[in-house]
Amino acid sequence: MKGVFFDEPARPARLWPRFVIFALIIALVVATLGLRLFTLQIVSGGYYAGLARENRIRLQPLRAPRGLIFDRSGRQLVNNVATFAVKARPADLPFSQRPAVIERLATLLDMSAVDITEAFDRAAANRFELANVARGVPEEVALIIREEHLELPGIEVVVEPQREYPYGDLVAHVLGFTGAVTPDDLARSGSLGYLNDDTIGKQGVEATFEEILRGEYGVEQVEVDARGEEIRQLRTLQPAQPGDSLELTIDVDAQRDAETALRWAMDRVGLERGVVMAMNPQTGEILAMVSLPAYDNNAFAEGISAVEYQELLNEPGGPLRNHAIADHVPPGSTYKLVTGTGGLQDGILTDKTILQTRPYLSIGPYKYWDWNRQGFGPLNIYEGFGRSSGTFFFQIAGELGIDRLAYWASQFGFGERTGIDLPGEVRGVLPTNDWKMRLMNEPIYPGEVYQAGIGQGYDSFPPIQVLNAYAALANGGKLLKPQIVRRILGPDGEVVDEVEPELIHELAVDDDVLRIMRRAARRVVTIRQTYNLVDLPIVVAGKTGTAEFGVRDDKGRLPYHSWFAGFVPKDPWKRDSDPNGVEAVSRTDSELAVLAFAYDSRTTGNAATEIAKYFLQMHYDLDVDLRQDWILERDNFYGQ
Amino acid sequence: MGTMRVQPGRLGSLGSRPATGTWHDFDLQLAFYALGLTVVGLLMAYTSSGGAPLEAGSIFTRGLMWLAIAIVMFTVAASIDYRWLKTLAWPVYLVNLSLLVLTLIVGSGVGGVSRWVTIGPLQFQFSELAKILMAVVLANYLASRQGKMKSLATTVGAFLLMMPALALVLIQPDLGTSLVFGAILFGSLFLSGAGLRWLLIAAAGVVAMVPIAWTYVLVDYQKRRLISFLDPAADPQNSGYQLIQSQIAVGSGGLFGKGLTNGSQTQLDYLPVSATDFVGATLAEELGFVGGVVLLLLFAALLWRILVVGWRSRDPFGLAFAAGIASMLLFQLMVNLGMVLGIMPVTGIPLPFVTHGGASLTSYAVGLGILQSIAMRQGRPAW
Repeated sequence: MKGVFFDEPARPARLWPRFVIFALIIALVVATLGLRLFTLQIVSGGYYAGLARENRIRLQPLRAPRGLIFDRSGRQLVNNVATFAVKARPADLPFSQRPAVIERLATLLDMSAVDITEAFDRAAANRFELANVARGVPEEVALIIREEHLELPGIEVVVEPQREYPYGDLVAHVLGFTGAVTPDDLARSGSLGYLNDDTIGKQGVEATFEEILRGEYGVEQVEVDARGEEIRQLRTLQPAQPGDSLELTIDVDAQRDAETALRWAMDRVGLERGVVMAMNPQTGEILAMVSLPAYDNNAFAEGISAVEYQELLNEPGGPLRNHAIADHVPPGSTYKLVTGTGGLQDGILTDKTILQTRPYLSIGPYKYWDWNRQGFGPLNIYEGFGRSSGTFFFQIAGELGIDRLAYWASQFGFGERTGIDLPGEVRGVLPTNDWKMRLMNEPIYPGEVYQAGIGQGYDSFPPIQVLNAYAALANGGKLLKPQIVRRILGPDGEVVDEVEPELIHELAVDDDVLRIMRRAARRVVTIRQTYNLVDLPIVVAGKTGTAEFGVRDDKGRLPYHSWFAGFVPKDPWKRDSDPNGVEAVSRTDSELAVLAFAYDSRTTGNAATEIAKYFLQMHYDLDVDLRQDWILERDNFYGQ
Repeated sequence: MGTMRVQPGRLGSLGSRPATGTWHDFDLQLAFYALGLTVVGLLMAYTSSGGAPLEAGSIFTRGLMWLAIAIVMFTVAASIDYRWLKTLAWPVYLVNLSLLVLTLIVGSGVGGVSRWVTIGPLQFQFSELAKILMAVVLANYLASRQGKMKSLATTVGAFLLMMPALALVLIQPDLGTSLVFGAILFGSLFLSGAGLRWLLIAAAGVVAMVPIAWTYVLVDYQKRRLISFLDPAADPQNSGYQLIQSQIAVGSGGLFGKGLTNGSQTQLDYLPVSATDFVGATLAEELGFVGGVVLLLLFAALLWRILVVGWRSRDPFGLAFAAGIASMLLFQLMVNLGMVLGIMPVTGIPLPFVTHGGASLTSYAVGLGILQSIAMRQGRPAW
């Protein structure tokens, strides 16, 4: 039969060998593929299963909540608050889109493009890890960034805890702050497992107690997809250990009193900087440490901009520096403690010895004037210390010589770091013959010994050393390490560790000598060298200081700082049996040493004494106010 | 003995021309194997739908839609007497070339290539259809050369016929598909009985062309992809990445696989283009060696049935067309699975029936429909 519409074609010549060959090719291809499948899946299946597991399972750190910080009466000085942070995973951000992303983020976050670029590039070595861009981002901005994630590749918004310091600048220098880790931090802390976008204590106890506060990060297994995004948690290999908390020695009430007193004087005088500290001479515990001007550490916790940071750095008062421990300043007459103690202990004088004071002492053509330019006539150690006679102490210093003077200074801790657990402490400069030979290739001249005897010239120390010296005087000769942390508390508030007083050394000074010096310090007050400080209902002993520095003005006068360093006996209230408080200061039971320092004060009277007086009034809740405004007039008066 | 027996009343033969075709001769095995492969493809579409396979617009629902369309096209193609195609061969050829030119002009693709033409919500890759159409055109040509099959002119003529389409696809650029045209050409010529001498010379010529093509035709990325399978670790982040991840997917599947939708390589996106070019790796990961063997056997059976249709065809057109379709299927199977298993270079060739994509599936449906039409219209062979 033929088809109706189509011609029936000729039957093709079927070449069966070719069909066989073709069929064999099919068999060969299928067999090859099957064999390869067998090799991959059955022979090497285990190996590839391992690779697949490595692909999808990532070990991820579990961050530990950071420990808190309390004052000595349990007031919480820092909170961990949940905030939004914007982070970048540079590997996920195509280079071509960078400018657009940076521009958009700069607008949303109100940051400069430079800061954002810097944040992206900070972790150049770890492009697959997150890097911080901004922290403490307002919720509405965070939500916008989340919304726009398609236009912002590689940008992630995460919720993470951030430090909040409710007392702001009141305890800023002590607490310090945390901030984003820098490449330097990462390099330094290598094995501690800091993450690219981690925070680390940068200043204050946040920095010195970093390891305790940080806790230990744990490890968890998570399943991740090809983009590295977490799909689900698999299991926790090692739970995170929350950081321990610190209980500081600081008493916020004392801190606030100290700040109030200092701020009052600073505002009246227009001081650029000042320091007030209080410590317990029995234990070395710092009760108050105020350095003004201060800064708000919350600004750092939130991530300060480069511009703001530069502004803080450029402020003349140096608000970022803790002047209590980080400044070199001449101790002035407070240093006569060293000279007097050395003279007594080395037998240059006794408390019976009378030295003639004069308007000045001469060495060759040079005259070394007493501060009142008249002298005070014949004086014993009590009167000499009380009047703060320069010519009295020139004579003792001249007898001691510079190296012996330096020895006694180092006995009181001058020229060595106290070891307080705060970053940035300086050693100070304690001149000796060796020191000057090394530095200037000449010995100390006799006139320079006179200068050193009254805490002038080359001598310069951080205020904490002055306080610690008077604390050693007050406690009967124990030089203690000033403590800033009292106890370490576990996550549930249990006490993990108590900080014991730490003796640096016992002063190689007889108790009698120290008792003489304490009485002399009381004499400073009773002789009214400190004006009406003696009228307080409590017994105070101490020493004023006026320390010249810098360059002379057009009248040939030098600017100067004011000092007051002293202590209060344990039971400070005045008694009829001991009207002058001599018995009280003979004891070594003082629990309060105090220091006030007014930088570049140039006031009619000693501004530091007024600050200390005001502090003591508040601290002991005294019902009197003996502050005298006239003392704080700016007058460039040479009061001692 | 008539070549076309009348089969009244059987399965709706085409009405007034009982002698031209009969559903009685419908090759059930051919349809069954193809349907089996398509079901495997649907399973892969299901697992690639990201946990929501039943949502509108998911890969799975689109796969279902394309399957429906493919069945319709298959039925239509099987119903129509394939001999019409001979009459229409030249118009088909021209339409085909113009579609490929159109693709070059308005087509879109990833990274500056022109592969797809977008019509409304659909993207269509005409080069897939072109493969089938060129098999038709070529088969028609070879049928017309009966008696002169062994001559040089036949082989040269077939090459000349094929070249425009091949070149148009190559400059898209789509090296893989253009090689499929080559496979169709060689397979059809070989089984139709072209002179072996000429085929060997042509094959030698192709081999000689390789260095020239390497230098002047291939773009850098194509070269990199082509050689990366030799040492995927040399470039693990780019072209080597797919190969490494694909082998991990396959190998980690083991004997029974991780189970549908449980393949970590697939589901966590380690495996790129897991629903399309690397669908074989998804299958091997989730269904294991057992699944892979079933897949291979289905392909082998389908290829076998296509050869049988060709062998049984009394019409040289049918033989040549079956040879073309079989060559195309075998070549794609070899290159695609070879790539997935790391023994072939990376080329963007889909795995027929299994790879998600409407163009490939419907084109094959048309091809198999024509084969059915051929099978149904030969009558019982005398042997």
